[in-house]
This record gives sequence, structure tokens and C-alpha cells, in this order.
Amino acid sequence: MVLLKQASLILWKDLLLELRRRESVLTMFFFGTLLLFVFHFAFDVPPQTIAELTPALLWLAFLFTGTLGLAQLFGLEKENRCLDALLLARVDRGALFVGKVSFNFLLMALVEIVVMPLFWILFNLHSWTHMPALFGILFLGTLGFCVLGTLMSAITMTARARELILPLVFFPLMIPLILATIRCMEAILRTGQLGDTAAWLRLLIGFDVIFLTVGVLIFDWVVEA
Amino acid sequence: MRLIVRDLSKAYGFSWAVKHLTLDLTAGDLIALLGSNGAGKTTVLKLLAGLAHATSGEIIFDGKPGLRGQGGERSIVGFLTPGEHLYDNLTARENLKFFTALYDRNCSASEIDNALSDVGLAWRANEYVAALSSGMKCRLSIAKWKLLDPVLMLLDEPYGVLDASGVELLENFLRDHCAKGRIVIIASHHLERVLAICSRAIVLNQGKMIYDQRRQQSWESFKTAVNDCLRMDPNGGIDKQREGKNGRHGPAPSLLV
Repeated sequence: MVLLKQASLILWKDLLLELRRRESVLTMFFFGTLLLFVFHFAFDVPPQTIAELTPALLWLAFLFTGTLGLAQLFGLEKENRCLDALLLARVDRGALFVGKVSFNFLLMALVEIVVMPLFWILFNLHSWTHMPALFGILFLGTLGFCVLGTLMSAITMTARARELILPLVFFPLMIPLILATIRCMEAILRTGQLGDTAAWLRLLIGFDVIFLTVGVLIFDWVVEA
Repeated sequence: MRLIVRDLSKAYGFSWAVKHLTLDLTAGDLIALLGSNGAGKTTVLKLLAGLAHATSGEIIFDGKPGLRGQGGERSIVGFLTPGEHLYDNLTARENLKFFTALYDRNCSASEIDNALSDVGLAWRANEYVAALSSGMKCRLSIAKWKLLDPVLMLLDEPYGVLDASGVELLENFLRDHCAKGRIVIIASHHLERVLAICSRAIVLNQGKMIYDQRRQQSWESFKTAVNDCLRMDPNGGIDKQREGKNGRHGPAPSLLV
């Protein structure tokens, strides 16, 4: 309970700051939309391969867009050495991690809610009934992205060229999650159900659970180091 | 209440910032931590606050090992550095609300208003911290630590940004804090100001403690003894160059006396 209370305080503070600055969410939204338009005009996706290609394009857009948000995730805490103020307080490091993951997740969800329907329209996807299932997969994929991304963002926080280093360490670790999400989305777009790709869904859930647990456990060491 | 520091050392790469520091602080101590630039004052404060990892040594607070790590011990340490540890895009009131909630103090709105009023910021309570001057940010930090009431209060150069009434406010806060049996450590170059309120002075030179005395003698002899230590060169002798320029008991160039 204490962890959740402290995490919600950090989330409240981050949302309030973002509401006033509007830097991350606007940048992410415009970049995500821009990427979709670029993909739309660059790739002429034939209807028979639409299920195979579009999930990858969509995830590519989310991956780049989300990385923009990750780069700024601890930026606010570095201003005025506010991270020191948080570390000085009796705040559980796990709560700090959960708070940051929640904030990052909300930002990503906000962008996805706007970008997803646009993507649907741009790539002429007709199966609107699959949308809830796709959002379910996106939820798990985005959670994994935010969990690992927050951890990597904290690890590279003090690095000199963090904007360069972050994708270099983050993207390779994201490969299982990206593959699982794309395979699951592909199956849903093609048949409307997961079918024999359920193993990918288990991998997706496992990835989220493992990295969320690892993050809560090791975040103390990550921020103190 | 007792804070014991044993053989504490901190190295940054191959350079020692603090070497074999040993201290024994008791309730009500108001300590002036002095030394020229690079003497290791801020590093000592960070080590005590748990914001830096010691290379060796230990810190024992009331018999409990370490100030670092999670849990109750951390909440007792306050660290006041002017202009830092406040969110620019939150208002003065929101900053106090956030930090008191984070420390599980849950102050009421009237308590927060009173604290702001005490430091002369009631009229700017709803302004963003970014819009406040450095002195006002320092006053806000005083309000924050007044509400949080830490057992160990650390201050890093608090005087530089404060006006006369701000200095009075800060010193009253520190005196009251010590009177409650808390420990206060001030790192500063404002020698006269800090020696006037402290009960004990510690001088660092290149990370080593070269002076540690309680204020028992007269003000003048106390100040002279501290000044002599501050003008020690790194090898332990009186810095002749500084002495030549300023006289035997004159101010050291790096100090604002």
C-alpha cells in the first residue's frame, strides 16, 4: 500500500508537470503521426500482405515515438537535482520505478489512442471488430516497453551521450517483446484470434512480469549507482 | 541522539575527496564545516545524506549502521542547497504539498500556508518556483525543512542568496532546530556568520580533517584558530603566499569574511 501511495504521488507530480510543459506528449504525438504518414506514402502495402506488414510498421512507429518520451523521462528529475530530493526522502525505490513506469505508460497510451485509429484509416484496415483484441496486445506490449524503457532510461540517466546510448542498449533487449507483439497482432489481423501464436502471448506476459519484478527489485541499485 | 562517522573516505577516480574522516556528533550540535574550495565539504554532506557512496568507512546513527539505503533512517536527513531540490513547474505550495506527502507528514493546507507565511512567501504561494528569485527558493527550502523537521539537517552554502532578513530567518530556524535536540551541519565560506552561530567548527583541507574544536574559548581566539587552519597549505604549513597578502590573521582569499 505504501508503495502504491508513493508511486501515485510521483505519478501525480509527473502528470502535473507534463500538463504544464506539454513537451513529451506533444512531441510524441506529432512524431508518431508523422511516422505513420511517412510509412503510408513510402510503402505501398498490397491487401494480401497487410496483416504481415502493418503490425511491424505500427510498432516501429511506437518504438521510435516511445523512445522520445523515454529520453525525457528523468530529465525533469535532473533539473535542480530533484532526483536527489526524491532519494533523500523515505520513498521506496520500487515506488519511484512504478510511478515512472505508470507515467510513461499513460503518455504512450494517450499517443496510441490517437495514432491507432489514424493508422487504421491510412492503411485501409477494415476489421474494426479486431480493434479491442489489438488494444489488448498493445497494452501488454506497451507495458513491457515502458517497464524496460524506464529501467534503461534510469541506467543511462547520467551517461554523457544518453540520447545515443539509450536506443543502443534498449532496442536489442526489446527484440523478444517486439517479435511477440508483432506475431500476436499479425495473427489477430489475419484470423481474428491468436490460434497457434498463443506461445507469443505467453512470452509477452512473461516479459512484462519478469521485467516489472526485476525493475522493482533492482531500481534501488540502479538509481543509487 | 548521536551520529558517529568512522574512518569515512570517498574517492572520485584516483583522487580522494574525503580521507579517513572520523566524527562524533551529539544532539544539539550546530557544526560549521569549513574549508577552501575542493576541501571536501559538499562530499561530506552528500555522504552523510546518503546521496553518495563512501569508498570506505561507516556512518552510525543512533546505533544503527548507515544512513544509506531504504527505510526510516533516510527520512531523518534534511539537505538544504539553495535553488535545488524543488520542482520549477510546481508552485511553492504544490512543492511543499508534494514533499510533505512524500515524507508521509501529510500537513494540512493551513500548516503549509503557515510555513509559507513564516518565511515571507505567503503572497507568492501560488507562483511557480521558476518565477521565484534564488533567495525566495532558499526561503521555500527553509519552509520545506521546517515542516519536515529532520533530525540531521545539512546545509550547503545557504548564505550566498539570502538577504539580511533571510539570514535571520535561517539562523533562527537553525537555532530552534538545535534547541529541539537536532544536529545541524553548515558548509560555508561565510566564516564570520557561520562561526557566530555554531557550537563547533570542523576544518577540512584536501579531504582531511585538520581542525575540530568546540567553541569554548572567546569568539576572537576561536575565529583566529579557525582562520589559521583555513590558511594551511596542502602540506600542513601556513600558506606563506596568502599570509604575505593578508597578514597573519587576515582573511584567506577564498573566504568571504
